[in-house]
Amino acid sequence: MTLPKPEPKVPVTPPEQWVDLYGDYLYGFAMSRLRNPDAASDCVQDTFLAGIKALDRFDGSRDIKFWLRGIMRNKIVDQIRKSVKENKVDIEAEDEALLESFWFKYSGIATTNPDPWEFNPRKFYDNGEFWKVFEKCIDQVKDPARQAFILRVLEDQTTEEVCKVMDITPNYLWVLLHRARSQLKVSLEQNWINSD
Amino acid sequence: MLTCKQVSNALSKEDYEKMPPFKRFFLKLHIKLCIFCGKFNKQVMDSQDMCRCYKEKEELVNTERPKMEEERKAKLRELLASQSIGAQSGQKD
Repeated sequence: MTLPKPEPKVPVTPPEQWVDLYGDYLYGFAMSRLRNPDAASDCVQDTFLAGIKALDRFDGSRDIKFWLRGIMRNKIVDQIRKSVKENKVDIEAEDEALLESFWFKYSGIATTNPDPWEFNPRKFYDNGEFWKVFEKCIDQVKDPARQAFILRVLEDQTTEEVCKVMDITPNYLWVLLHRARSQLKVSLEQNWINSD
Repeated sequence: MLTCKQVSNALSKEDYEKMPPFKRFFLKLHIKLCIFCGKFNKQVMDSQDMCRCYKEKEELVNTERPKMEEERKAKLRELLASQSIGAQSGQKD
């Protein structure tokens, strides 16, 4: 005997209304991750179609908007996988030297003496403008470091998953994340201090 | 006591806030005391703090991000209408 399906706690919006209600919301996220309007639109479309297919599994414990956002995580990973397939990730000479360096092998760090921050970013965490600048700075990080950063940090994929998607080793992923962090720091220092 | 490499590995695998309290304590202790990796790994932790905070605030920033083109939206509306009718008739069958 099958138990009757419990009523969802939040109303299920019919898919015909999804574009108007959640289209821009999801597109905003997709654009921030993919930077390409076509890829972002495809990503939203794939999310909606996957949402329709999985709608009977929607448990209604949270707003459908967040449920669709959850589905979109996988679609963003798919889009990045596609773009990595087209432009294969090659290890740059500079990164190769870092991977082979004594410090990296001994301690797993890139340098013992990184430049300190030119300002204390914590002071601005409550300032909405700071996060807008932060987002622009993420956009300025070069691929594939940006892609690694998006997958690992912003989309919460595991190290193993990111390595599989980007076809790289965990050590190289670490180097890419280090690149992303340092480029982000330099560009935040330039853009935030100049925006005052 | 953790080694520099263990600290770096742990930080490269996950956000330090998600680690068990015991591990977090030794990690922070190492970073405070270590003259080799302390400065570097402290910046990794600061970056994790920053990204965590960004993700919390992202919903607010999202309202000012670019919007989808109207033309694309119209196509998507049609597609969803046809798909959801198909799905409903499929369920009835």
